Amino acid sequence: MRIDSLEHRPGSGFRDDGRRAAPDASPDAPAVSARRICKAYGGTEVLRDIDLDVAPGETVCILGPSGSGKSTFLRCLNWLEEPSSGTVLLDGQPIGRLPGRDGRPRPMNARELAAARTRVSMVFQHFALWPHLTALGNVVEAPVHVLGRPRSEALAEGRRLLERVGLAERADAYPHTLSGGQKQRVAISRALAMRPKLLLFAEPTSALDPEMVGEVLAVMRDLARGGQTMIVVTHEMAFAREVADRIVFLDGGRVVETGTPDAFFTRPHTERAQRFLARYAR
Amino acid sequence: MSGIATVWSYRDAFLAGLGNTAALVGLALVLSLPLAALAAVLLVEASAPVRRLGREVVDLFRCVPFLLLAYVIYYGLPEIGLRLGAWWAGLVALVLYNGAYFTEILRAAALSLPREAVEAGRAYGFSRAQLYGRIVLPLVALDAGPVIGNQIVVMIKDTALLMVITVQELSFVANFVNARAFAPFAPFATALLLYWVLCLVAEAGVGLIARERRRRYG
Amino acid sequence: MTFDDVLTLLAAASITLGLSVAGIALGLPIGLGLALLRSARLPVLDQAIAALVSLVRAAPIVTLALFVFFVLPEAGLELAPIPAAVVTLTLNTAAFDCEIFRAGLAAFPRDQLEAASAYGLRPATRFRRIVLPQLWRASLGPLVSEMTIVLKGTPAVAVIGVVEITRAAGRIGAQTYEPLPPFLAATVLYTALIAVLVRGQRFAEARIARRYGYAVS
Repeated sequence: MRIDSLEHRPGSGFRDDGRRAAPDASPDAPAVSARRICKAYGGTEVLRDIDLDVAPGETVCILGPSGSGKSTFLRCLNWLEEPSSGTVLLDGQPIGRLPGRDGRPRPMNARELAAARTRVSMVFQHFALWPHLTALGNVVEAPVHVLGRPRSEALAEGRRLLERVGLAERADAYPHTLSGGQKQRVAISRALAMRPKLLLFAEPTSALDPEMVGEVLAVMRDLARGGQTMIVVTHEMAFAREVADRIVFLDGGRVVETGTPDAFFTRPHTERAQRFLARYAR
Repeated sequence: MSGIATVWSYRDAFLAGLGNTAALVGLALVLSLPLAALAAVLLVEASAPVRRLGREVVDLFRCVPFLLLAYVIYYGLPEIGLRLGAWWAGLVALVLYNGAYFTEILRAAALSLPREAVEAGRAYGFSRAQLYGRIVLPLVALDAGPVIGNQIVVMIKDTALLMVITVQELSFVANFVNARAFAPFAPFATALLLYWVLCLVAEAGVGLIARERRRRYG
Repeated sequence: MTFDDVLTLLAAASITLGLSVAGIALGLPIGLGLALLRSARLPVLDQAIAALVSLVRAAPIVTLALFVFFVLPEAGLELAPIPAAVVTLTLNTAAFDCEIFRAGLAAFPRDQLEAASAYGLRPATRFRRIVLPQLWRASLGPLVSEMTIVLKGTPAVAVIGVVEITRAAGRIGAQTYEPLPPFLAATVLYTALIAVLVRGQRFAEARIARRYGYAVS
């Protein structure tokens, strides 16, 4: 394991020039604006020219068969995966690459990247809770140590967030004592504690026993209704249909179809989407 | 019973020997663990050639008997202009030798960390130092705790070899008392019992870490 | 260092090797026997063995060697340095082997034992035909690690006058007033011996994995 095997090496000839990020973009700037995202491993292209804009408050569900590149694309949005080419703006500000002195883009250094990532939170398929910290400890860890919030304030907010996902009484439990559904709800609280502009969900219910899927989806539904900007990679068709403002359908590393849930589920106009729905939406 | 009386009459020497053994182990731990943590991070982070070289060096230390290393350091350091007493040479040997073992233990533990926990740290904007300080090291410490404990037991026993380069630790004292009093059983039995106690204390420490680990990880 | 010195070191290496092999060969059956005795859970004897094993495991080899060399004669058992060294190494490694075998026995799948009994195998046959062949495969990795530890522990018996590699190197250094070259040559010798053992272990493990489809750790 290399801690940063997926990110840029720092000190690659550029120094942090101390330039602060641009002041807040206009209020109607997209929460995410991804342009021409390509990703290739060796010779295989997994993402080809993907564009995506997500407006503040919008919930977008990304659907597609396994291997379609939807998870890779999601990981490109917070630069856990570095796209081969393309740009991502979060809330109007770039992540991953900045304009360099000579006008050509240069990779962000570790500090810039860490700062950019605080604007977006991610919920992982396998929860990725920190096993040495309690539920509450997981929730307050990054707000205190990355954002520098006062501990008491973070603890109070953390308890509120755990209460919101119905886990107030498990605040002091270690992750291994929680069920899968509880772990994922803690993970969602942890993500919310960052007060992110954007919340990414990477197949949040795929690792759960069937009877626990509902409790996690219920929390996500509440968030979407509360106006949280979300991008959800999922196989839960009923959830996507009910909650999403927009469906993006990926296949073979391309956006094949995009539209309202109603249009996508009732009148898919590409053959690939029709085939996909015939297989999964029953 | 005369044996017990002999040991009792040399109790100050035994206590001093025990103190030396404990001090060597304690000091070597305090020095070698942070060094090993640093080396393990370097081994994980460095470029491939450096990583390979580092592993070769670590492996070399692990192939050499401790006594031989102690000799090399005791006789070798003066050659490079560093004149240390036996006690300090022994400490250097303990730190280097166990540092190599600890490095390998920590490196292996870091490699088997849950990948996603580390990735989540990156996704939440932890700096590299924070990632190591707040996520990787605590997890590694709990994971590797029992193995480190076993190595500490090995370390306690290795200090006995330092009697050969005239460090006045527990076995040196036992041998000294035997030579003085011509009564071998009691002094050596005393030394063995005291080593047993030291090792049991270390094992109890391991037990505590293992219990904490079970509490957190299940 | 002269050519003669190199020969001296090589001769000493044969002593190191001989001591290790003798200690390992004697220690293995004793360790297995102790582990089996403990698995029988006989009252008193069980606790006695447990305490003895714990004590010996905590005993530095140097101290143990001094104990054996100086104390056994008191009990009427006069031992020359080399036999005393073999006794020391055997005691030491038997205690560790006992724990390795005990772990292997504890992890042995119960249903296999029940199956063997159900087919009418008597305990002795069951042990010989079913348990032992799997036990040694599962214990091979830890046992080889223990063997390298024995090999690395041999310098400790120099303290009772056995001239093995380390002591021979020390002597050469004392004669030539240049201690470093013989010690470095000794380092090369140990590394070569240990490398051979580790290679052998990898080879054996690979064969076992190929033949029986499971890897041993």
